[in-house]
Amino acid sequence: MENAALIPVEIVSTILCFVLLRYMIRPYRLTREARYIGLPLGFGFLGVSYALMGFALYFESFLFVEEIKWLQLFNQAYAFAFLAVTYYFSKSSKSKNIRWNITYAGLVFGVAISYLVIFEPPMLGLPSYKTVDEYFRLFNILFLVYIFVHTMRSHLSKPEPKTFWIPLSYLLLAFGQYSSFIWSLETVFVANVGAQILRIAGLAVFVFVVYQTFFGSKQAFPKEGIWDEEAST
Amino acid sequence: MKRLPRRDKLKIYGDLLSILYVEPKTEKIVLTRIQLKTNVPFDRLKTYLTELKQLGLITDDPAIHLTEKGKQYIKEYQNVLDFMKRMGLTYT
Repeated sequence: MENAALIPVEIVSTILCFVLLRYMIRPYRLTREARYIGLPLGFGFLGVSYALMGFALYFESFLFVEEIKWLQLFNQAYAFAFLAVTYYFSKSSKSKNIRWNITYAGLVFGVAISYLVIFEPPMLGLPSYKTVDEYFRLFNILFLVYIFVHTMRSHLSKPEPKTFWIPLSYLLLAFGQYSSFIWSLETVFVANVGAQILRIAGLAVFVFVVYQTFFGSKQAFPKEGIWDEEAST
Repeated sequence: MKRLPRRDKLKIYGDLLSILYVEPKTEKIVLTRIQLKTNVPFDRLKTYLTELKQLGLITDDPAIHLTEKGKQYIKEYQNVLDFMKRMGLTYT
């Protein structure tokens, strides 16, 4: 019963992530710089992880449901890792592009190895899903806190109302992970509900920012043929 | 004296197109003014303008102005830069 109530949340989260993915790829498409590829990859992996969780909740008796849950775990951790790496390299010099290429290659290699381990487990088998889930939640929180600090510093360096929303959304996602962690430790149902609400709220803030940027009525763009010193420099 | 960060071609193209976009249509565009605004040497400015023309982003018939493709590009460029700023990403 509990699980059935979570399926719509997973579906909504998946849809939101794939909607965001469409816009997150734009910085990479414009600049063609590999350091920004982590943004769409991050939201893509996040969307896949929610879809996998929804699938695992719906088809509880499916033969590979355990493997699907493991996949979800890895996908979500890699999603936040890709996002954190993007923020880490966003301030680095272009001359260091070899570093970000190696890091992304390492992450992609890690994804491939993780998938192999799930479907071809080592001789000793995989550790308990619950234990690994708890560790992964902690890693996710660390990645999200790092991104929050990065975006908050960026906001504080030049405070503007429009740059405030993204640190908030990462913070909501971090609290969502923390709530999931509490639920995983003590099986407090309220913590699980809180985690779902925080996650949806965090993703909704991202959608709001995308809407404001690409469809907002007041765009940061001057009218054609009108000089605006600030806009042009 | 504060050193300005180096701009890549994408940023120079973006700045150049933004300036051409807001240039009054009624006036003839003076290259020296564009050069001062973009802060690039005159010979390189001419090369960039040729490249932008080859890409179909500007036309010089009868005077230099943005094509529809150029206007679309600059809108996308400004939107994406604004999005990156909101996302807390720096484009250097």
